[in-house]
Amino acid sequence: MKPNTGKYVQQLRAIKVTINKEYVLAFVAVILGLLAGAALMLLTGNNPVSGYYYLFRGGLMNVERVGNTLATATPLIFTGLSVAFAFRTGLFNIGASGQMLIGGLFATAVGLTLDWPKPLLLPVMVFAALVGGGLWAALPGWLKARFNVHEVVATIMMNWIAYWTVFYTVPRYFKGPFLETESQRIPYNASLKLNSLTSLFGGSYINLGIFIALLFVLIAAVILERTTLGYELKAVGFNRHAAESAGISVNKNIILSMTIAGALAGLGGATFYVGYASNMQIGVLPSHGFDGIAVALLGANTPLGVLGASVFFGLLHTGKGFMNAMTRIPPEIADTVMATIIYFAATSIMVERVWTRWRAKRGGVR
Amino acid sequence: MFKKGLLFMLAFVLVASMAVGCTSRTNTGGNGDGKSEDSLKVGMVTDAGTIDDKSFNQGTWEGVVKAGNEFGLETRYLKPVGTTEAHYITEIGNLVDAGYKFIVCPGFKFETAIFQAQERYPDAKFVLIDGYPHAGDWAPVVAANTVSIFFAEHESGFLAGLATALELQEGEVGFIGGMEIPPVQKFNWGFQQGLLYASENFGTNVTVKAENVIYQGTFDNVAAGQQLAAQMYDKGVKAIFAAAGGVGVGSINEAKARAKDGDDVWIVGVDVDQYAEGIYEGNKSIILTSAMKQIDQAAYDMIKAEKEGVFPGGEILLFTAANDGIGIPKENPNLSADVMAKVAEAFNMIKNGTLVISDVQGDLIK
Repeated sequence: MKPNTGKYVQQLRAIKVTINKEYVLAFVAVILGLLAGAALMLLTGNNPVSGYYYLFRGGLMNVERVGNTLATATPLIFTGLSVAFAFRTGLFNIGASGQMLIGGLFATAVGLTLDWPKPLLLPVMVFAALVGGGLWAALPGWLKARFNVHEVVATIMMNWIAYWTVFYTVPRYFKGPFLETESQRIPYNASLKLNSLTSLFGGSYINLGIFIALLFVLIAAVILERTTLGYELKAVGFNRHAAESAGISVNKNIILSMTIAGALAGLGGATFYVGYASNMQIGVLPSHGFDGIAVALLGANTPLGVLGASVFFGLLHTGKGFMNAMTRIPPEIADTVMATIIYFAATSIMVERVWTRWRAKRGGVR
Repeated sequence: MFKKGLLFMLAFVLVASMAVGCTSRTNTGGNGDGKSEDSLKVGMVTDAGTIDDKSFNQGTWEGVVKAGNEFGLETRYLKPVGTTEAHYITEIGNLVDAGYKFIVCPGFKFETAIFQAQERYPDAKFVLIDGYPHAGDWAPVVAANTVSIFFAEHESGFLAGLATALELQEGEVGFIGGMEIPPVQKFNWGFQQGLLYASENFGTNVTVKAENVIYQGTFDNVAAGQQLAAQMYDKGVKAIFAAAGGVGVGSINEAKARAKDGDDVWIVGVDVDQYAEGIYEGNKSIILTSAMKQIDQAAYDMIKAEKEGVFPGGEILLFTAANDGIGIPKENPNLSADVMAKVAEAFNMIKNGTLVISDVQGDLIK
């Protein structure tokens, strides 16, 4: 019995160490990002201490702002999960923006067409978004599996197809009485916003999306860590050929992984267009898909990491305006500071390299 | 190696903290966070596009800055992360929380945001340019702390069209619009009426084909503006009326490049006098004339009214030829004196009501 327990403890310790290491790395990356942002503020003659003070106050100073931070983070959680999920299968999903658009379009279409009571309508809309996003990503997945078309190229192009599809569909079928450039307003019974939730957070934009997001963080974690499907997906990601010779169908898993990734991004679209926003505008490709890449990198491609990274990004986006208003930092510099923080935060892989090399060296000296 | 890195870090931190000390000392007092409640602080939230878009945002901001300098007011603009109602309200909230109680918002996209903000922040005042607050149902609700401002773009477009036709005498012209929204549509319809008026009354032969009337769909896609202009010029169009914000900047760039090569191409500017933007050699500009809206004047007037205690809250103001709210620039180096005289005559006829320009499409193109 004893050796067995020892082995178990050892295993546990190994798991603990890896988890710790990943979070430490992400933390270091964030600190680096903040330092780089501070350096930029200094270079432009601003005080980074007051800058960051107002940035964080802007995102957290009252319940309304906390609510807005969470609301801003919600679509990012989904796009982050989407990118991370594909990453685990060795696929690079740059198309989360387009999948979001289609998910949003599907949800909007259902919401504006059906006049059902809220508790019945919302699940249908959310499901429509899931299906829309999933189908949108399944195509590049299939192209990759069948013809080896690189998914980066295919998903980028699908972004623009989505963009122009929305551009055509919304004014044609869902436009309001006057404007050619946006859909009708989403009625309350089709919106993810809930009056009680809005007033609980002092008029914030927080909506049911955050709970759906939390649910899917859990679902993604379970799929990846606890199911055969997740095991196969990851195996394909680690080594395609090894997975194949082990009897795992690589093609099936590529299509499946892209579909799930797309479905997640599509859900993000629903939370954005019928939750955070109140209608769908044409001519805008949401930036969430690209932020999602940074979120996934910072979150070490784990669902929980993505959750944390998204909230951090939501905080940055929400606090930025308050920082602008309270300091002399102009919006353009603030945008650059945000980009710098994100850039450095996303280099956690670089930090990891340096870390391992340093440890190897220290080990070598001894 | 490691020691070197540590030293570097240490040096960096030292320098950084020194710099922090310096800036915080020089910045004291002027940090914008002084709680001087009595003095008016004027804020602005930008619409899609940048503050230096050479048209809408810039015009508004120049008016704000002018008033700020004249009355010694603190001014600040914020740039929203996106273009949804939620993004706009977030930034309005940031300004209000930072003590900016007079807020100018350019663009119809602010309509629903201002509708909520005017109620939520009763001690703040709002100026909405090109739109009126409503709940999403287009029933105007202008509260006592809000002024909404409209311009007679059709009259401005008419004068620019008339000037273009008289100056060119014959040939093809085109129109590039940003989004297909009322202010841009009215520019287009007015422009076409100006061309028709010139041919009926002065025997000119300047026409526009349906294929050369295009709404690009955004206000910030510079590359697309350049491409559309290139296509039109290739088809033999001599002058393009670009009512498209940043898209128009692309068109101006294309015209400048062609003019440098000796081509005979022109752009009709929009919103502000864009002559300076079109200079390609010495003081030669490809801007024939500009269809102006006195946005800066409107913003300035409202701030002045507030300072004098006569803020026209609750009203919808209309800036037309009758109150010199629109027109073409006083100086147009590319127009002959004869053309200027004829345009001035038409301007006066509009002013005294003998000439009425339609603000609906009728038989006109798009």
